[in-house]
Amino acid sequence: MFAPLQAEPTLLPETIGRFLFGSEMAIWQEMIAAFLAAFVVANVMLAQAGVAGPWAKRKITAAFTDRIAVNRHGPAGLLIIPAAAVQLMAKELIIPDGVDRPAYDLAPILLAFSALIGFAVIPMGSIFGINLQIADPESGVAYVFAAASIATLALTMAGYASNNKYSLMGGLRAIAQNIAYEIPLIVTGASVIIFTGTLQTSEIVAQQAEPLVTIAGVSIPSWFAFVNPFAFVLFMVANLAEVGRNPFDIPEAPTEIVAGYMTEYSSIYFVLFYMGEFIHIFLGGAIVTTLFLGGPSGPVLPGFVWFVIKIWAIFLFTQWARSAVPRVRIDQLIEIGWKGMLVLSFANLILTAVIVGVML
Amino acid sequence: MSLQERQPVGVTEDGLDYDALADLLGDRVIGREHHLNAEGFVVRPTDVEETLELLRDEAGFDHLSCLTAQEYEDRYESIYHLTKYDDRTQELSVVVPADPEDPVSESAAGVYETANWHEREAYDLVGVDYDDHPDLRRILLPETWQGHPLANDYHQDRPQLVPFQEHKNPLEDDHHDAESDTMFLNIGPHHPATHGVLHLKTTLDGEQVADVDPDIGYLHRCEEQMAQQGTYRHQIMPYPDRWDYASAGLLNEWAYARVAEDLNDIEVPEYAQVIRTMGAELCRIAAHMLAVGTFALDIYGDFTAIFMYAMRDREKVQNILEDLTGQRMMFNYFRLGGVVWDLPEPREEFFEQTRDFLDDLPETLEEYHDLITNNEIFQKRVIDTGVLDPEDAKSYGCTGPVARASGIDYDLRRDDPYGYYDELDWDVITENGGDNYSRFLVRMQEVEQSARIIEQCVDLLEDWPEDERTIQSNVPRTLKPEPDTETYRAVEGAKGELGIYVRSDGTDKPGRFKIRSPCFSNLSALESMSEGEYVPDLVATLGSLDVILGEVDR
Amino acid sequence: MIGVLKSMATTLKHALDGSTFTVEYPDVAPEVSPRFRGVHKFSQERCIWCRQCENVCPNDTIQIVQDDQRNGEQYNLHIGQCIYCRLCEEVCPVDAILLTQNFEFTGDTKDDLVYNKEQLKNVPWYKDIDPLESREPDRGAWIGEGEGELDYQ
Repeated sequence: MFAPLQAEPTLLPETIGRFLFGSEMAIWQEMIAAFLAAFVVANVMLAQAGVAGPWAKRKITAAFTDRIAVNRHGPAGLLIIPAAAVQLMAKELIIPDGVDRPAYDLAPILLAFSALIGFAVIPMGSIFGINLQIADPESGVAYVFAAASIATLALTMAGYASNNKYSLMGGLRAIAQNIAYEIPLIVTGASVIIFTGTLQTSEIVAQQAEPLVTIAGVSIPSWFAFVNPFAFVLFMVANLAEVGRNPFDIPEAPTEIVAGYMTEYSSIYFVLFYMGEFIHIFLGGAIVTTLFLGGPSGPVLPGFVWFVIKIWAIFLFTQWARSAVPRVRIDQLIEIGWKGMLVLSFANLILTAVIVGVML
Repeated sequence: MSLQERQPVGVTEDGLDYDALADLLGDRVIGREHHLNAEGFVVRPTDVEETLELLRDEAGFDHLSCLTAQEYEDRYESIYHLTKYDDRTQELSVVVPADPEDPVSESAAGVYETANWHEREAYDLVGVDYDDHPDLRRILLPETWQGHPLANDYHQDRPQLVPFQEHKNPLEDDHHDAESDTMFLNIGPHHPATHGVLHLKTTLDGEQVADVDPDIGYLHRCEEQMAQQGTYRHQIMPYPDRWDYASAGLLNEWAYARVAEDLNDIEVPEYAQVIRTMGAELCRIAAHMLAVGTFALDIYGDFTAIFMYAMRDREKVQNILEDLTGQRMMFNYFRLGGVVWDLPEPREEFFEQTRDFLDDLPETLEEYHDLITNNEIFQKRVIDTGVLDPEDAKSYGCTGPVARASGIDYDLRRDDPYGYYDELDWDVITENGGDNYSRFLVRMQEVEQSARIIEQCVDLLEDWPEDERTIQSNVPRTLKPEPDTETYRAVEGAKGELGIYVRSDGTDKPGRFKIRSPCFSNLSALESMSEGEYVPDLVATLGSLDVILGEVDR
Repeated sequence: MIGVLKSMATTLKHALDGSTFTVEYPDVAPEVSPRFRGVHKFSQERCIWCRQCENVCPNDTIQIVQDDQRNGEQYNLHIGQCIYCRLCEEVCPVDAILLTQNFEFTGDTKDDLVYNKEQLKNVPWYKDIDPLESREPDRGAWIGEGEGELDYQ
């Protein structure tokens, strides 16, 4: 029996629980339901990262550089995805001498994990009547920022444990970069919180649904990207640094420090890093979507589809920036972070606070 | 320097007065030699530094273009090929014989920085021991190498058996020195940004470069020796293509063609000169496109848009060159006394293709400027990084775009004209910044100038009367120049002054064939350019020098 | 900031115009210039065993074995070592050796790339183009005996 649609959407674990065990659940049944829900969401995100890494990224880069890219395996080269999966997993896992285990082994797992758990509180919209949000705590936004920052720990661990100077430099750069950009990121995020007055993600999304203005019959929703475009731009820039993409890809910086923290990783560990990074980009996109782009709302199509479109649009943006913007130097990065972004983000916060205080 | 105020010794209305120079040096000159390109002063091996210092400060010879070492039956000899940045046609060779048993000769590294590397190479390959040299190690061959390959008594077949222990462990030194807070880092030989196999032994202080020592030779292919085993007429010409292999082939071929034509007194028909000029400038465009693309690659990371666009445009040049020469990179198109083929038939089609390319070029360059030159982040990365001031550039013997970006107005195409350049209308590009940005800008503008030259050549070729299209002069099948004729000639390659010294020994093969590679000298300046900079700037500086390791190592 | 946006606009323009310059080899045969120098083709009928090609070859790619009557027995060419300088074609007085436009050859070992004269005879023309025609049209006149047919082999 399917539960009837309610005004307050049911969270995914509850939907699964009801389907499996009925409406009265013991604590272990709730745990199983929650685990299954997490499994579903994680796989959805992993699948997207799987499409993004071996296929979409190549196709997008190729489009920017006037090439064709993967087109030999299956339609539009899509079968490169299983091919790449098999190829990468079949490779030998090379563990260099003198690595610091288990930190060396834990780092890739931690990176993928930290990006995945962030999705727990993201309202991903519903499809076929099933709401894909796992949890909706009141501290949702705080949690998702916290989860995303764990990635830095993973990068540092990888950099330190690899017993390689390039890795170490990559790890150190990652720390410097993340500290410098996490603060503007969160402070800019906070300006949205001032508007909404809540940290709960579903509530933030709901508040963006109201129309802002109606021009010629088309109503523009009050997405915070429209309400406060300045904060949106700041957040997008800080987000590029947070996920380590051009012009802020300096922890990896292939032409400078080989592959940064990833230098000594091969085979399945490399896959975990690689996938983790893509999921991280999607998580960044999901945060932007939730805070600034009205979450899963959109006309005609189901919410989840809109959600996917939005996070892919942000992924596309990172790839676009990558095609055209040079990498900044480490000292310039820190300078931009502390002297530019931080100041601007606080200015934005105070301005927002004043406006909210006066007008509302 | 002081010489700016006074007239340098030995300069007269119509060139150099060698007697005045000899007077300047007094009894340091113990003999005179005649080389085809210049007079040679024989100097005692103990007087080298003094002599060169006098010549530099009093006579204005500020450019040590090349150092050739060779072994004769009765002596070793080092020839310092001196010239001037102000006037390339004023040349002087300082010949330093050394004892065959104990070949010690005073080092010139105190006078010209560039002598450092050149003397190391001479020591490595020929075995002359330079006294007072700051750092006389092998440069091209491994440090454990036995013997000096270009010396007469070298056993080619002797196996180079070196026990494993003798190979120095590059990590040895850095293992925990409690006093030091620097880090030793091997950048290369396998590293994404070294443009081939180059090994930079870097000492880092944090992320800043405290010291960098380029370790070259990974791509050493004995090009000089191979040329010494080939006949003048045919067998040497295919090899210059392989020095600077990044499509600068025809420019390199011209270096050999020029020196061999000089040596054998061969005339080149005017029509062939125009074709040569056009082909060479097409090559320059291709080489500069690659330089710009890889430089951007170093700064952007990954194979991003600008690299691919540059490659795509280079592809168009290569198509033209393929139609002309029959090959995309390894052209082997020049012959002594001309070129091997006339333009491809139908000629109109070839002209049209070339014109199409030239017509599209301004738009393409505009796009590059949009994409990179005007990008603020790019500017932030390259302006005032990797600065090379003109004095250093001269001392390190930098030439080509690297020197011109430091404000040195020096271009062999104009200063020591060859081919058809002096008949054409074009400009030498200089920039004054001396930084990575200037070097980039110089290359971009040189592409425009090359396009101008090509356009004029195409016009000339189009109107050339049909019965005067001689592509080769009559050259005998076997060339045997007079024994002991020596000459040193250079052309403006894609990276700078590409010179070749040839000594004939009466056979149909050169007795000594020495290549002066512009990349070799330019790369030696890296150390002074990147000290105190961040690792990313070191990489960018290396990219802006545009070294091709095939030419550095030969 | 303007410059950065301009850069991004430039790449976006390229992404949207959809033109590519990839050659989908081997589905599409690449354009090869008529003068392109590829694998050698040898004509035993023409060859007079003068050994000039062997002499001029800069890196001993060509090996000729003759019996004591100076009749040719073997003509071997190490295609993996060849630098495609075309000097052999240039010195050949009878055009017995030609560099075709064919650039496709493989071998599992270096030895596979040593072509004997039978293999050299059987090197196919690339798209039926006789390269000599475009390289030296004057000489093409007598090559083309037999009504323009390629009379090699």
